[in-house]
Amino acid sequence: MSNGSSRITDFIKKALFVDFIKGLAITLRYNVSRSITLRYPDQEKWVPYRRFRGQHTLNMDANGRELCVACELCAKACPTKCITVIPMEDDSGRGIADRVAKVWKVELTRCLFCGYCEDACPTRAVRLGRDYELACFDLSCATKNKEELLQPQSIPETINGGFVVKAKFVRSPEGIKVVPDLRMSKKRLL
Amino acid sequence: MEKFFFLMFAITALCSGLAVVTLRNPVHSAVSLMLCLVQVAALFVLLRSPFVAVAQVFIYVGAVMVLFLFVVLILDIKKAAIETFPPVKRRFVGGVIAVLGIELLAFIFASPFGTAPADAAETTTESIGKLLFTKYLFPFEVVSIILLAALVAAVIMAKERQR
Amino acid sequence: MLDTATLIEVIIIIVKAWLLTAIIFSLPMPLTWLERKVAGHIHVRLGPMRVGPHGILQPLADTLKLILKEDIVPDRADRFLFKLAPLIAMIPAFLVFVAIPFGENVTIPFVNREVSLYLSDLNVGILYVLAIGGLGIYGIIFGGWASNSKYALLGGLRSAAQMISYEIALSFACIGVVMMTDTLSLLEMVRAQAGGIHHWNVLYLPIGPVWFVIFIIAALAEMNRIPFDLPEDEGTLASGFHTEYSGMRFSYFMLAEYVAMVSVSVLTVIMFFGGWHPPLDGALFNFVPGIFWFMAKVVAFIYFFMWLRFTLPRYRYDQLMTIGWKILIPLSLVSVLITGLMKI
Repeated sequence: MSNGSSRITDFIKKALFVDFIKGLAITLRYNVSRSITLRYPDQEKWVPYRRFRGQHTLNMDANGRELCVACELCAKACPTKCITVIPMEDDSGRGIADRVAKVWKVELTRCLFCGYCEDACPTRAVRLGRDYELACFDLSCATKNKEELLQPQSIPETINGGFVVKAKFVRSPEGIKVVPDLRMSKKRLL
Repeated sequence: MEKFFFLMFAITALCSGLAVVTLRNPVHSAVSLMLCLVQVAALFVLLRSPFVAVAQVFIYVGAVMVLFLFVVLILDIKKAAIETFPPVKRRFVGGVIAVLGIELLAFIFASPFGTAPADAAETTTESIGKLLFTKYLFPFEVVSIILLAALVAAVIMAKERQR
Repeated sequence: MLDTATLIEVIIIIVKAWLLTAIIFSLPMPLTWLERKVAGHIHVRLGPMRVGPHGILQPLADTLKLILKEDIVPDRADRFLFKLAPLIAMIPAFLVFVAIPFGENVTIPFVNREVSLYLSDLNVGILYVLAIGGLGIYGIIFGGWASNSKYALLGGLRSAAQMISYEIALSFACIGVVMMTDTLSLLEMVRAQAGGIHHWNVLYLPIGPVWFVIFIIAALAEMNRIPFDLPEDEGTLASGFHTEYSGMRFSYFMLAEYVAMVSVSVLTVIMFFGGWHPPLDGALFNFVPGIFWFMAKVVAFIYFFMWLRFTLPRYRYDQLMTIGWKILIPLSLVSVLITGLMKI
């Protein structure tokens, strides 16, 4: 009995194109909804959260002294052995201790951005930052040494992240860069 | 002007008609046949009967030829191009064609030619419809029954094969 | 032999034909753009954005690309038919517009001359459109056969079968409209629907909507658009009849497809949606020129077809045949009967 009545409703549904209209309504709703496209290299850029694990950065304290004491714990903790640390003695006040890193370099081609170095660091000197455009034209840029890593990254720590900002696509002889416009008025949520 | 168009269409129709029987490739023959039928439709337009012209294009070019092609397309073209058709003595075929041609010519010259002026003032579609349902009702119905018989036969053939 | 008045008439006809061809020839450009935009927005993307503002110049770039591509004729293809097929596909799509009226007569300002907005008001207009529109299928069949490729051939065969099946339902839908309006001429058909939305054929209750649905489904199948684009089914046939085509020859097929979509939209508007008549018979509505209403309706239908394309999946081949033979044709036979009874 219920089978018969459901067949009748099925027939009426088919004859009145109920399912078609439902489908069309869904696509129409999507048609007028806001697109989720991130127009990345040309006009927009994603600002990651603080927890994002991108290229390494070496921090300094408020007085501009290197926090790294070259204890080599990061190199020990690294599962891919991509961090090389060579310590040296320096009491000129470059670092917070007498022991500073002579060489602190990371091979980004091998790094898997696990963040163990960050966890191992007793002075919170090494952190995985928010720069993620790591592609380049030859292998020379795959190894980042201490001088580069001490430079502050493009997104300052004060910004929380998690939104999209307008950006400019810059082509220069050194390569291509996407420069974000970090004024908060220009941001939109994804 | 009209004579020029008539000659153009007629010559094209004749040439494409010849091509239908002389071309080796069945698909090329089908193209020529299509061309021929379209030219005949154009001739109907010149005779001020657009309904017949459109019906010609619609039924023959639009529907019948598609069916022809449907069959021709699945033929093995290379084999079909080598074969002679029909597979009987050439002399016999020639005889049949000659008899048919003489018959056709006899009919053409026997019929009262050009003495029946078409009533161009009336809307042709309307007059054709009226004629079909009054004066020519019986032939019209007979034709429909023949077509119906063909339809039923096709259905039965398909059913028999299914069993 | 020719006096001045006839000469002017001839010139006007030539100018009209030229204008119409130019417009229709360039129409696929904005339409491809629109189709990609609609696709993008339905997929919650943006669609083309990089060539020109909002990608408006994308079709130009595509055309340039197609022109510059190598024109490949496959080995052992039937060269003559292979080259002819795109033209056969394209020309009927244009010829259809000869019989299509775009409005009542208008007077050109300054010259003060009355000009009709159609090339020819055939008294068998609708039959002409059906007959000529049906010829486009030969481009697909010949293109598929001449390519010497099994996918293309299968596409051509499917197309032939689909065409035969849906031509019947399409013709029945036209018969329905002819019965409702008592004329075969497209111009008279529109005139019969004057005076507001309740006079339109689509609201010729109770049978008008049924005819409209039959017409739309059959027309979708005739112009090979999703959900009935079996001849170019990517999933099973590479891309069907135009697998072997590239460059400009391929674009002729695309052109024919888009022009067919326009002509079907135009026909739908003329046959069911009152042509250039406004939806309500008020002074405000009559003030807007008819051609505007006409274009608005046509654009709405073009959008509708695109919208359908990105909503519905493709039908299976046996489903296509079932819809054609077991549903549409019996339904249209019954509808003819009902329409006839209503006319008594």
